[in-house]
Amino acid sequence: MKIFAESATSFIASRPDAVSRRVAWSGFEAAGLPQVSDEVWRYAPLGDLELDRFAVADHPLKGEDSNFAKELCRRAGMVVRVTDGFCVDNSSPIDGVTVDVDESSTSLSGDILSTHYENDTFSLLNAALSPATTVIRIAAGTIVEKPIVVLNVTNGSSSFPRTHIELGRGANATVVEYFEGGTNALVVPLSEYQIGENAGLQLITYQRLAPSAWHVARTTGFLGRDARLRQAVIGMGGHYNRSRNDAQMLGLGSENELRTTFLGSGSQVHDFRTHQLHVAGRSHSTLLSKGAVADDSRSVYTGLIEIEKGAKRTDARQTNHNLLLSPTAHADSVPNLDIKENDVMCAHASSVGPLDELQRWYIESRGVSRDDAERLMIQGFFNEMLVALPLELAELVEADVTSVLASVRIVTP
Amino acid sequence: MTSTLKIEGLRVEVAGKEVLRGFDLAMSSGEVHAIMGPNGSGKSTLAHALAGHPGYKVLDGSVTIDDVELLELSATDRARHGLLLALQQPMEIPGVRPIDLLVAAGANEANLRERMSDEARSVELRPDVLDRFVNVDLSGGERKRAEMVQFGILRPKFAVLDEIDSGLDVDALGAVARRLRRATTEWDCGIMAITHFRRLLLELVPTMIHVVSGGRVVATGGPELSEVLEKDGYEPFRVTNA
Repeated sequence: MKIFAESATSFIASRPDAVSRRVAWSGFEAAGLPQVSDEVWRYAPLGDLELDRFAVADHPLKGEDSNFAKELCRRAGMVVRVTDGFCVDNSSPIDGVTVDVDESSTSLSGDILSTHYENDTFSLLNAALSPATTVIRIAAGTIVEKPIVVLNVTNGSSSFPRTHIELGRGANATVVEYFEGGTNALVVPLSEYQIGENAGLQLITYQRLAPSAWHVARTTGFLGRDARLRQAVIGMGGHYNRSRNDAQMLGLGSENELRTTFLGSGSQVHDFRTHQLHVAGRSHSTLLSKGAVADDSRSVYTGLIEIEKGAKRTDARQTNHNLLLSPTAHADSVPNLDIKENDVMCAHASSVGPLDELQRWYIESRGVSRDDAERLMIQGFFNEMLVALPLELAELVEADVTSVLASVRIVTP
Repeated sequence: MTSTLKIEGLRVEVAGKEVLRGFDLAMSSGEVHAIMGPNGSGKSTLAHALAGHPGYKVLDGSVTIDDVELLELSATDRARHGLLLALQQPMEIPGVRPIDLLVAAGANEANLRERMSDEARSVELRPDVLDRFVNVDLSGGERKRAEMVQFGILRPKFAVLDEIDSGLDVDALGAVARRLRRATTEWDCGIMAITHFRRLLLELVPTMIHVVSGGRVVATGGPELSEVLEKDGYEPFRVTNA
């Protein structure tokens, strides 16, 4: 771990908050990389992960945006540009929206990052190595009409973007966190969202990294009273794509809707983890995870719903559907419930299998070929994720998904 | 050119039970044939078997359009040979938009959105319903009319309508009947309307009415037959399968 460690220590030494970064780095060094013997990492191809392939950059590298990124930005209300984890453009043309670059090491939970994420190796890496937190604040009462795009590009061999999105009371916004680049790179984003009383955030995380990237991401929403977080996570790229998406319902009547989806091809591994924590009563969570695996790819979905004592009249639902598009693809689904309160509604369902035969017949009976019918249905998985987006933007992302899907081989039994 | 749809000796099994027991019918393009009969007589089985539903097993018989045997074809190819089934309970297809379904089905893309809106209005369906995913969050009546939009765009040689009238109010029913009627001249569409009710047939004047009982046609006649059915019900036509 020489090259990586040396570049990391010299990066840390150059930053103003080197002390707290060193705490996080020591935490990472003490824990080391996870092992496949560790249950939550058993599906990760950790044998392929050699940290010395990566170096920590002390400045952002220049690169060319993809055509898709250009189109996305053109349709956005504003763009926050983050290159190799560095926020390189934080101007905001929208009243009530500010973007700051914050060198502090605190989590929106109120804890120090290295404490809050002490058991999460990769989050500790982010705490130590992210250049700074990009903080997007939407002032109380501000309704942002057009989507805010956070354009995350990785040009170097590693990036550790950290993003905070804070919505004041009654604010509402749609944010697209988009990731591209990352050829042969390690990309470790850490995002947190604070949603104030009666505020609403529609969030789309679209991960379109290079097929060689290692992507280990974690997001957490902290929801206040009557706050709403509607989050869709779409994973396409990466050699290994890990996405952990948590929400903490801290305020009465808060609502979290999480949709996650992925398309696996080649020998990709998609590893989705969710944790909906209900602390307050009358809180709702709906989780829909749908994914498709083709070729020799595999996926794992592990979701935990946790309801604390006192979170009365909570309603939590979790559904996971996995599609197998080849006989050598594999999907695992592990739903978990941990309920400490009696007065709750809780349900979970999961399935692994081929496409629904009757839906396919219905489409075919209109004169659509089998291949097209199957592609339409798989594309439908992704389209469902995009309902929170304005149609113009949804169509752009749908077209991008179509272009990826076109190259995937579908073998049905 | 006149086309012919011919069903001969069709025997179909559903869940291990033979429901169609030698069904015969022939019709030409531009004609309207009504299939009437009591519950369980095999009407819906006929519709599903024609369109190649995977749950229906054909035991014997033949279905041709202009001498092309449909029973040997996939559901896709049956549609491409001119057969369209409008379902009694159209399925929800989450994430798929009607326009994308129609494009994949080979619809001409020129002005497609406008043509879909026109078709929707002709059956008194709000066009914005077509921006939703196929049949998702639609009422029963809206689904029926959404099927009619597909019908108007895809312009099949022969359409099989499985109880298109159920779930529709009187005004919508009239609009649907008029749309179907117009299709018989617009592109010479042949229409096989499976129905319980005489109401649909008042505007969609059938060329022939076939009464089905026990899995086969037991009586065939002109529009006057529906008056007999109205008066006496199906009892006089009932056959029992030993």
